[in-house]
Amino acid sequence: MKLACVVHRYGSDIAGGSEAHCRQIAHRLAAHHDVTVLTTCARDHVTWRNEYAAGESMDGRVRVLRFPVARERSLMRFRDATDAALAREATDADEEQWFRENGPDTPALLAHLQQSGQSYELVLFWAFRYAEVFFGVPLVASRAILVPTAEDDRIVRMPLSARLFEQAAGFIFLTPEEQTLVARQLDEPLAPSCVVGAGLDAPPPPSTTDLTSLGIKPPFFLYLGRVDPNKGCEGLLRHFARFAAERSHVPQLVLAGPENMPIADAPWLKRLGFVDEAVRDALLTQATALVVPSRYESLSLVLLEGWNRRLPAIVNRACEVLDGQVRRADGGLSYADYDEFAHSLGYLLDHPDVARQLGQQGFDYVERWYRWPTVLETIEQFLQQVRHRADVM
Amino acid sequence: MREIGDDVRRARQKRLLARGASSEYQDLAVYERVERALNRALAARESGVLLLPELFEDAADVRLTEQLRVTSHRPLLGPLIVFVKRRIILPLTRTLFEYCQDNFRRQQQVNEVLMACIEELALENALLEKQARGETRG
Repeated sequence: MKLACVVHRYGSDIAGGSEAHCRQIAHRLAAHHDVTVLTTCARDHVTWRNEYAAGESMDGRVRVLRFPVARERSLMRFRDATDAALAREATDADEEQWFRENGPDTPALLAHLQQSGQSYELVLFWAFRYAEVFFGVPLVASRAILVPTAEDDRIVRMPLSARLFEQAAGFIFLTPEEQTLVARQLDEPLAPSCVVGAGLDAPPPPSTTDLTSLGIKPPFFLYLGRVDPNKGCEGLLRHFARFAAERSHVPQLVLAGPENMPIADAPWLKRLGFVDEAVRDALLTQATALVVPSRYESLSLVLLEGWNRRLPAIVNRACEVLDGQVRRADGGLSYADYDEFAHSLGYLLDHPDVARQLGQQGFDYVERWYRWPTVLETIEQFLQQVRHRADVM
Repeated sequence: MREIGDDVRRARQKRLLARGASSEYQDLAVYERVERALNRALAARESGVLLLPELFEDAADVRLTEQLRVTSHRPLLGPLIVFVKRRIILPLTRTLFEYCQDNFRRQQQVNEVLMACIEELALENALLEKQARGETRG
């Protein structure tokens, strides 16, 4: 099949969940299909500044067409547009303006879809909240497959988001919760869809990197990723501070990731900032549990990576995706308030055999659903199904 | 896991009683029933399926206005006024605005929880009345 994959940023040096998801799937589909990635020249997702050269290039077997962004994002206009779009009296024009100001504004990419979209048998679009998806899907609606990467926030609940979802010929979802979330926005039944999550390779041998040189000694709980209030880190630190104050033997909390908020130091807190692969691997191998406090996730790759190393998880039950994953895998515990948070940490510390069992169950879940051959088989069958349906119609 | 849930429940019950909560909570069955009712209320609030907001004369009155929309009704000077509000006054007061916005969001959540609790109590009351009258399902 001749396929196009539309994504706002693309490259081996791009750090972003949906961008990485698109690249991994594009590469694997390219083993059997003619795959072209349609993307922008932007590297930075805040400014959309053009940094890559426009034009055609190859990324392994994948053809990459880069289109320039017409204007950088104005944070002031974006803020105004957000206020207007989420206001009580918001109009369709307000909501459409939000997508314009969110960007990236790439008229040349849209022109390509308009002129050449029909030359692709299917066009896959990643991340519904970006302009090239919102304005691009209608141009090739009958062959558009949307990978929404939606979270339960106010943007997904905007009426214009529902109208975008109505136009897609099919969906690839990361979790059943995301599928339900998108379906709930529609009056009509959802177009054909599948749930695939993301593919993971078998884990490398356990890392032997010595963490004591970093001041880390077991037992410790691990938070891995951007340290940000939007990731639930303020609540995590408040809960852990209270937990530490109530215990005589206090385990460490290790934060491994770039920090985007002020953090007060504490004797039980170890801040590592961005870590390299070897340290990351050692942390995932040696931690007592991975803590994922975020309320908003569309998949949580870090949760799967932890399970890939048999690490049990403690997740925020307010996030339906995290709660659903932990229930399906039986790979950890969830909390709704401080008491449950504290008891979960204490329980895993006091019952290492149960912690190991939960970690093993998480690993078994990843083996069953998230290995690349399984993920790709599901995607291939789904693409064939949608293409056949489009031919018939 | 059920044993963690049971441990949390007992520890919380003990802590509340130590702080002077209602002596009725000494009865674990009563405590559990109250906790279940409040958790149902929280779940209903999160899924947005409450009856009480629908009974307000104007549904718009139920929600706090968390987002600021800058407008002017003046026909000629309107655009200038909007520009001054948006580009001069709002940036100068942004910190205060965001502080208020955060608190509006929290207040909205508290309002929703309280409405959900009231509705849950009304529902329980209705079911108990029905039981007391010995009605059978139609």
